Amino acid sequence: MKKFFILFFLPCFLYAELILEITKGTDDPYKVAIVQFNGEEKLSSEIHGIIINNLKRSGEFKVFTSSELLSIPSKESEIIFNDFRILNIDYLVLGSVLNGDIIYEVYDIRKGSKIRTSTVYGIPNKNRQLAHYVSDGIYEEITGIKGIASTKILYVTQDRNYKLIVADADGKNEQILLESSEPIISPTWSPDSRKVAYVSFETGMAQVFIQNIANGEREIVIENKNQISSPAWSPDGKFLSLTLYQDGNAEIYILNLTNKNLTRLTNHYSIDTESTWSPKGSKIMFTSGRSGSPQLYELDLRKYNAKPKRITFDGNYNAKGSYLPNSDGIVFVHRTNSNFQIAMKYFDENFIRPLTISQMDESPSISPNGNVIVYAIKDSGMGLLAGVTLSGARFRLPAKNGAVREPSWSGFLR
Amino acid sequence: MFFSKFNFNLIFFLLLLTSCSSMNVTEETVYSGDVKTVQVQAASTIESEDINYDSEAVFANATIYFDFDKTELTSKSLQILKSVADALNENSNLNIVLAGHADERGTREYNLALGQRRAEAVSQYLELNGIKKNRIVVKSFGEEMPLALGNDEESYAKNRRVEIN
Repeated sequence: MKKFFILFFLPCFLYAELILEITKGTDDPYKVAIVQFNGEEKLSSEIHGIIINNLKRSGEFKVFTSSELLSIPSKESEIIFNDFRILNIDYLVLGSVLNGDIIYEVYDIRKGSKIRTSTVYGIPNKNRQLAHYVSDGIYEEITGIKGIASTKILYVTQDRNYKLIVADADGKNEQILLESSEPIISPTWSPDSRKVAYVSFETGMAQVFIQNIANGEREIVIENKNQISSPAWSPDGKFLSLTLYQDGNAEIYILNLTNKNLTRLTNHYSIDTESTWSPKGSKIMFTSGRSGSPQLYELDLRKYNAKPKRITFDGNYNAKGSYLPNSDGIVFVHRTNSNFQIAMKYFDENFIRPLTISQMDESPSISPNGNVIVYAIKDSGMGLLAGVTLSGARFRLPAKNGAVREPSWSGFLR
Repeated sequence: MFFSKFNFNLIFFLLLLTSCSSMNVTEETVYSGDVKTVQVQAASTIESEDINYDSEAVFANATIYFDFDKTELTSKSLQILKSVADALNENSNLNIVLAGHADERGTREYNLALGQRRAEAVSQYLELNGIKKNRIVVKSFGEEMPLALGNDEESYAKNRRVEIN
């Protein structure tokens, strides 16, 4: 009898593991009822679980499942809208899984009408991605913002070997891109999310590689007898900004990926590194030690001979910046006292907003819709990935074997 | 499969006919996102046939330590480096690798640059003491290869270093 119960409840626990500790969501979440889709029970139940977790993890939804509803419709004609209005539910989702495809519908309870009907065509062995597409469609219909459940996260793990791994945005479905006995750092996506660039120490010193995700083809971006590091793709995918050490010091260059021409951007005796491009590609932000401590600077690429402009002034450590996708602010690593946190600054505000509260947070990466920041934390000396949404929800991605670090969020894949 | 899509399309057609103008109708196909795994073998360790083994002991333990976010050589470091410079001057066929390191605090790329500056600081001292630049390889491992694994100042201090080999 006991065994029976364990087996019976196992699926619930498996799904529960996806969201570890949502500590705080928005105060006024969208209330959505999601009825398990019609179709083969096992697949339909798996897809249901993935969709619910995706919506919950955004921090913006309160999800109602069948056991919490007064009536359980399986098709439009069975919906009793008042049964949902009594529970203050805003939206209802119904659907069917058929031959590996999904058709789903979103209903506005207050209006008492259908507001979306969508079909997602599956391909073999990609049922998780099918569920992520449905999640993103529901999210977009209700919030008006593109969803990120179908995007990917790239990160590095270290146990006996170093591994470069790509996983779904919920931390599941890990696949190894590269395994090496030497360190791998600074992984980043090409703008079309079909390639990655990273730094590998496999030759004995830091070198930048580009690797095609689908076929594994890889190349050193530029041969140099000195180390090269910190790759970042221009938004059009034609250039890579890099840190070169050929003068004995870290300086930022732009590499034209077509003709391999290098253009030098910085020239200063202190450290210049961690370059990143603005969403329109007109500016480069980087970390520089030129003021005596690491601070963020911006360089306008449209102006000839432009001088770097300092953009962070709070505290004595502000590094590894990235732009929000709509260009209205930046996210970076900030030190207060002896703690390293992830912080955000809007350009029209003269103060910074701390987003995290641990002691050793680093490597923030912003989701392509700008709503979530994933970053690396240390918990009892162990590296893990955590996320924070701009609505205030926090979550941790499932614990992995070995130390996990340096997450990098892909672009939209839908 | 074909039949089901045909069916869906039919449903869509009917839905389009009956739906009001405010309803969103979409259709999309999942992206495969297939991945190929690559395994790399690290390059074999640097050829060391030129090394004069009689004097290797002088270098084996030469590690220079630094303060947090600093690249300056301390007076104790200068003493050690003086003996390294002497040994290099006495063994003109000996070449060295300077590998800079940082502790885990701060960002990885900044720490890589910091380790490089530390190794450069050591290199510059040796050059000022008569060692030719072409006998020195300078590189950094940033915070990637810590000696001590603790999360305390004692461990951090051991990790902020330049190893001379």
